[in-house]
Amino acid sequence: MGLWKDIKGTFLPFWVTLRYLFRRPVTVCYPERKQPPAPRYRGRLVLTRDPDGEERCVACYLCSAACPVDCISMQAAEREDGRRYAAWFRINFSRCIFCGLCTEACPTLALQTTAEYELATRELLQVVCEKDELLIDGCGKNTEYNFYRLAGIGVVAPRGGNPGETPPEDIRTNMP
Amino acid sequence: MPTLTIDNQTITVPEGTNVLEAARQLGIEVPHFCHHEALGSVGACRLCAVEFLEGPVKGIQMSCMVLAKDDMVIDTGSDGVLAYRAQVIEWLMTNHPHDCPVCDEGGECQLQDMTVAGGHGVRRYTGPKRTYQNQDLGPFIAHEMNRCIQCYRCVRTYQEYCGGKDFGVMGTRQRLYFGRFSDGPLESPFSGNLVDVCPTGVLTDKTYRYKSRIWDLQEAPSICPHCSLGCAVIPGARYQELQRRRARTNRRTNGHFICDRGRFGYGYVNHPDRPRAPLLGHRRVTWQEALAALQNHLHEFCELYGSGSISMLSSSRASLETQFLTKRWANALGSGQLCFEAHPRRDQAARVAASQAPDCSASMEDIRSCDMAVLVGADPLAEAPMLALALRQAARRGARIVVVDPRPVELPIDCERHAAAPEELPRILQGLTRPQQNAFASASEEFGGALGRALLEAKNPVLIGGSDLLGPQGCQMLLKAAEACSPTGSTCRSMLLLAGPNSFGGAMLSDDGPGFDALLEGMEQGRIKSLVCIEADPVADYPDRKRCRAALARLDLLVVFDCAATATVQEADLFFPTTALEEAAGTLVNNEGRMQAFEKVFSAGTPLLQSAAGDHPPRFFSRDIPGSHPQPAWTTLARLLGRDAELEKVRRELEKIDPRFDGLAGLTADSEGCRVVAPRQAPALVAAPASGVTASDQLHLLVTEHLYGSELLSDLSPCLQAVKSDPYVWLHPQDVARLKLVEGKPVRLCTSLGEWTLELRINGDISPGVAVVPRLRGTVVETLVPGSEPMLCRIEKA
Repeated sequence: MGLWKDIKGTFLPFWVTLRYLFRRPVTVCYPERKQPPAPRYRGRLVLTRDPDGEERCVACYLCSAACPVDCISMQAAEREDGRRYAAWFRINFSRCIFCGLCTEACPTLALQTTAEYELATRELLQVVCEKDELLIDGCGKNTEYNFYRLAGIGVVAPRGGNPGETPPEDIRTNMP
Repeated sequence: MPTLTIDNQTITVPEGTNVLEAARQLGIEVPHFCHHEALGSVGACRLCAVEFLEGPVKGIQMSCMVLAKDDMVIDTGSDGVLAYRAQVIEWLMTNHPHDCPVCDEGGECQLQDMTVAGGHGVRRYTGPKRTYQNQDLGPFIAHEMNRCIQCYRCVRTYQEYCGGKDFGVMGTRQRLYFGRFSDGPLESPFSGNLVDVCPTGVLTDKTYRYKSRIWDLQEAPSICPHCSLGCAVIPGARYQELQRRRARTNRRTNGHFICDRGRFGYGYVNHPDRPRAPLLGHRRVTWQEALAALQNHLHEFCELYGSGSISMLSSSRASLETQFLTKRWANALGSGQLCFEAHPRRDQAARVAASQAPDCSASMEDIRSCDMAVLVGADPLAEAPMLALALRQAARRGARIVVVDPRPVELPIDCERHAAAPEELPRILQGLTRPQQNAFASASEEFGGALGRALLEAKNPVLIGGSDLLGPQGCQMLLKAAEACSPTGSTCRSMLLLAGPNSFGGAMLSDDGPGFDALLEGMEQGRIKSLVCIEADPVADYPDRKRCRAALARLDLLVVFDCAATATVQEADLFFPTTALEEAAGTLVNNEGRMQAFEKVFSAGTPLLQSAAGDHPPRFFSRDIPGSHPQPAWTTLARLLGRDAELEKVRRELEKIDPRFDGLAGLTADSEGCRVVAPRQAPALVAAPASGVTASDQLHLLVTEHLYGSELLSDLSPCLQAVKSDPYVWLHPQDVARLKLVEGKPVRLCTSLGEWTLELRINGDISPGVAVVPRLRGTVVETLVPGSEPMLCRIEKA
């Protein structure tokens, strides 16, 4: 029994090799030809904009808290109209492990993964991306969500003027 | 003492303890919003429900509203209770906005925690959410009313605990509104506590707005350095920037709250003008060069003029370890020219305070539980703001508060005010020392005697004095008076308000050492050739600035160690940057003699906000943090003494050499601290000079501390500049009429130190014949220093 198994084990690999000699190869000639990645591939991260064209990111620090390798850092600031935004936002892709936890943590759908995977470089600082390199002119995967329309504190509409809100209470009256 | 069983654990608690507190003593945290240890229970949030299985009460009840009774058996986590709490959370969330990402409370929000703990994820109620307009509540507090869950904590803190009158609750049902009647800054000097008590993000710190999340902050237990009370705080820093301070709980000192000066006075650490590198002349040098220059110079002075030519000055800002090593260094150099306070009268007063028996001194806890307090020459809101809050708690329990002061002392309570002229204060104290006596020489003494008798009849009386107004002699009399007024079976405790956070420590270490007056004399005579100022600013703190500047100009070498760009730093020949309080560990001794350790919060460095000008961090690599040159003064002193810079070793050595500091080495920063074991000997005081006869056009000038703008470090904080007052002089209406002046118009204040034009304000609570000028740094009157010898002035139309 043992001898038969050894003989089979010796010749089977040759047979497999021989068989594949007459088939089309699965490899592609990268970089001349590029394989399209899967639809939910987790590549380079981008910051998207809401349907009104404003930055979605409110610099809530949740992505940097969720990041297991601490590659995201930012500073929040307040715009004159009360909108919270990132004064600066940095992702260090030399540390990033493309786990996508940051995009899951992002409550405003600002941070999204893209299919871009060609990040290799000899210059380390090229993969330390600042906000202007991360911010895209588009909504990304969701074209409808606008955090401030649902947040319930005004900013994009007068207070109490967003859907599902009553107008501000008059505090000078006790009438029901 | 009822005994009850909570979650199968049995505990005996004092009568009157509610079930929530009893569970907390067992380490079981019952979720709650509206209950607060300092504020009590109101049963408004309905979250602290627990199930009573056996005993006088049965079923699901609010644990904060039920007092612990014998034979109670309680389950804090039964299925019914958990379902009840989940229901309450869901109700609270029906109107709560969906804005946690842009809310500063996120990460430290009780509502957020409870929502997650209660399992509420999807809002089932589909009706609209109610909204409100927000108010502008001034420079400290940001308001977002949509987030409110109606727990009433803010109103209870602001109105009941802190005595504020301009913030309250309006409306009915679920339309309750917590705010002011109209927009405007909150008037209470304790408004910052609203940030700490609000369980959600309605009231947040405006100075910390959108700066960080709590999980990114570097935090450690620390002590507030802005007055002599030593309140417990937790500073938070990120990117080399101190971003906020919040209150820490120390039941012996501040309790649960702090004042706005302490909370928002942190900005000095990040001040853009803070010197961060050693300077030789005005040239930047390395630490090695600067230390070598210092050692060479001092060696040279010792050789040429003897060790007596070297003098040293530390201050009440320096930690106990720094003060101790300064003393060791002076000893090692053989110089006895050492003192710990640039203001001679404040120095003497601190020495008097430190000569008080430790068990007779009053802690803030004693003051909160006293039944009678007499304040002589003390203005709590200006000199030690949290004392005002402690007095309010005493008054709320029915204590009698008597204020004897020439100034219009404002307290957040109704109290008995007695406007006494400055020269009357010693006579009143004299009367207080003889409460049993029947006949008195003057009406003031008789008033003092009557107060003394009232103190004798009280159960826990407290006598409080301000060292600036009383002076060392007055302080000594106050201590004597406290001794004389002790009722049988109890002691009349006393508290003296001192100049700085470690005045007491300096006074303990200074023994019979000279005062700064003696040092100045030495400089004027040319005996003293060099002065080493360790975290001291004699130019600003010595009452006669001209004399001090002239004496410092005669020196061959002025060495300054400091963390702020003070007036003395500008004149220094050799400058060493030191760390701010939050950037190093150490110990401070507060005005009751309580040693309190503090931990290092973060490492010194230029805040990223400044080094990157608000943009992203620089795109290059460097080994060290920019601006990280400051070193704790005590480590530099240890290096100069040629020993290891280890805090533990320094503390153990101090404890061994000076047994009065017993317990120092075992102190931890999160403890309640411990008092010094024994007092120092009482200093020998010369009799107070008799105040001059007032000519008809002359007034007594009282320079006093002000809540904002008087204390060095908090005055450097940018967020307190908005509430700083313009310089003014306060007069009694009688004097205004006599001198034919007009309120609100500028007047000319003429003294022996100079002349200034100030705004005139009228106050009827002031003693007639007195002009009160608050000390405000960085204004025209910055050369006027509180606590100096009594001075006369004239006031004319400008």
